[in-house]
Amino acid sequence: MIEVKNLTKTYGKKQNVFMALDDVSFTIPDGASVAILGKSGSGKSTLMHAMSGLDRPQHGEIVIDGENILKLKAKAVDKFRATKMSFIFQSFFVQANETCFDNVSLPLEIANVSGGERRKKVIAALEAVELGDKIKSKAKNLSGGQKQRLAVARAIVNSPKVLFADEPTGNLDSTTGEVIEDLLFGHTKTNGTTLIIVTHDPDLAEKCDIQIRIKDGKIESISEPKKAEIKKPVTRRIQ
Amino acid sequence: MRLRDITRRAGRSLKNAKARTLLTSLAIGVGAFTITLSLAAGTGGKQYAEDIVSSNTNVKELYVQPKQDAQGDSSQPKEYSDTPALSYGGGFSLKLLEQSDIDKITKIDGIETVTPIYNVTAKYVTREGQKKYQTSVEAFLSTITQEYAAGSGDSVTGNEAILPDTFSKALGFENPDDAIGQTIDVVVSGTIPGSGDKTFPLTIVGVTKKSELAAVSGQSGIQASSEIVKEMYQFSQKGTPIENAYMGATVLAQNEGDVESIKEKINQQGYDAQTAEDLMGFIFQFINVLQGILIGFGALAVLTSVFGIINTQYISVLERTQQIGLMKALGMRRRDVGRLFKLEAAWIGFLGGAIGSGLAFAAGSAANPWIRETLTLGENTNLLIFQPWVFGVVIIGLMLISVGAGIMPARKAAKLDPIEALRTE
Repeated sequence: MIEVKNLTKTYGKKQNVFMALDDVSFTIPDGASVAILGKSGSGKSTLMHAMSGLDRPQHGEIVIDGENILKLKAKAVDKFRATKMSFIFQSFFVQANETCFDNVSLPLEIANVSGGERRKKVIAALEAVELGDKIKSKAKNLSGGQKQRLAVARAIVNSPKVLFADEPTGNLDSTTGEVIEDLLFGHTKTNGTTLIIVTHDPDLAEKCDIQIRIKDGKIESISEPKKAEIKKPVTRRIQ
Repeated sequence: MRLRDITRRAGRSLKNAKARTLLTSLAIGVGAFTITLSLAAGTGGKQYAEDIVSSNTNVKELYVQPKQDAQGDSSQPKEYSDTPALSYGGGFSLKLLEQSDIDKITKIDGIETVTPIYNVTAKYVTREGQKKYQTSVEAFLSTITQEYAAGSGDSVTGNEAILPDTFSKALGFENPDDAIGQTIDVVVSGTIPGSGDKTFPLTIVGVTKKSELAAVSGQSGIQASSEIVKEMYQFSQKGTPIENAYMGATVLAQNEGDVESIKEKINQQGYDAQTAEDLMGFIFQFINVLQGILIGFGALAVLTSVFGIINTQYISVLERTQQIGLMKALGMRRRDVGRLFKLEAAWIGFLGGAIGSGLAFAAGSAANPWIRETLTLGENTNLLIFQPWVFGVVIIGLMLISVGAGIMPARKAAKLDPIEALRTE
């Protein structure tokens, strides 16, 4: 369970104070998929950064597994991120000059996983995203969709509790985007991983259990959690 | 993150920027090259100097003179002393050693022999049917290394003598080998009027080669056994006050390690002793100064390359902002991010050190024969001697310096804000 309590984050000083997050509170149950929706500048990215411990808001609490990560020391937050969290970004951020194996191996190296263990997990993760035949290929030789699949493999390799995805399909066409979405939802549901997607794509948000809409740093609305068992067929809106 | 994994990642990112890595390490390689060569030149130079010293003097040997009075103001009257002395005009005089002095020195512990120094200038040396040549005659010392063209100096006794090859040629021997066993006549004249000349027939047992190493104070005259030289000396000085006095004496220590303490003991007795090292010390000092200058240039090159490393690593941090941001987002600790960049710098230092010292070794090994020929050093003399530890010290030293240079960029990388680094567009 992730509890966000009275989160407030401001930029600037005195007259120029800008409220990026204004008293934000909500709760996310374990294993749920959550979409954080909002226009650019609404504070949705700031919220994600705060929840992942990358940013330090001035007030509030973020309690994950009973621990307020805002109270932890930098070293402990790093360890938390290395073992319990992972990320997917809009621009992939895969290391072009490194092989797929080394790209996926990075989070495990950071988490001090031994070499043999690492090999097993990396290969499993690459196979899960259907890149099993690209283990030794350099990332720069992959297509955009393959790169994002590689990023997904990197995100799931350390079996995180929480997976943050920042516009994961923003740079992809709708077909490849769908592949990535299926991968993400499929993996997180089967492994009970909490998935937090920051997006302004309403279709993608629709597929999540909970939608949190943010406007001007405040929560505009939170949808009631859908029941996880009911799998509603999703239709794409014709654009 | 484990150090091994960080090291591997550091090596990989350098491999991805091959040209830049190579150029940066070449800069530090110039320093490594210079320092390795200057250390090799220092070692080789000292070795060469030691060869010179051992072929001109014996390290177990001390040269003893009486303590000379301060010559000071020659206008002041000086007290007369009964001891023998060579007087020059203007009140200058040189004190000499007497037999009693020799006996006194002989009693000091650790001394093998005390040999008075005889200085004989022969009237001439000749051989039947040959011209007469001027020469000096010195006592043969078996402890001084010499190269022989013929015969040997294993034992020189009685009326035996050793001839430089120039004399053997002048005296009509076509080959040095022909001279062995032949007799030459050394004629010495007395100092007192009417004492006449005396001929000393000497048997040649060895012919020395002109030694490249003997350039400093090489034996240029005839060397004869000390007995015969003593006889010549006493004949030439017969009747003068200095007949039984000597300009100095050579003291041979039993052990090389005792030389310094013997020197002190002799000095306490009121004499002036100098070791071979004292006499040859200037050579070592010269080599040290030269080596210091060379190392200084090398250090300057290293200093320049330090800025190169800082610059390269700074650019690398800027180029890889996203990568650093990602690693930090994935939970890599600040310390480990810093380590990554410091280790990259260490790799650059290692490469530079290895390339530089390796090239220095190759160049030095190739240059040694050429230097030997150009400077006409003796055979088997290498002016550049590479000791294995030098490579270790140079490479490790440069790695440490590189890590030092990498600290600032590494700190910048560690401080990087992942949110800023990962901001899209």
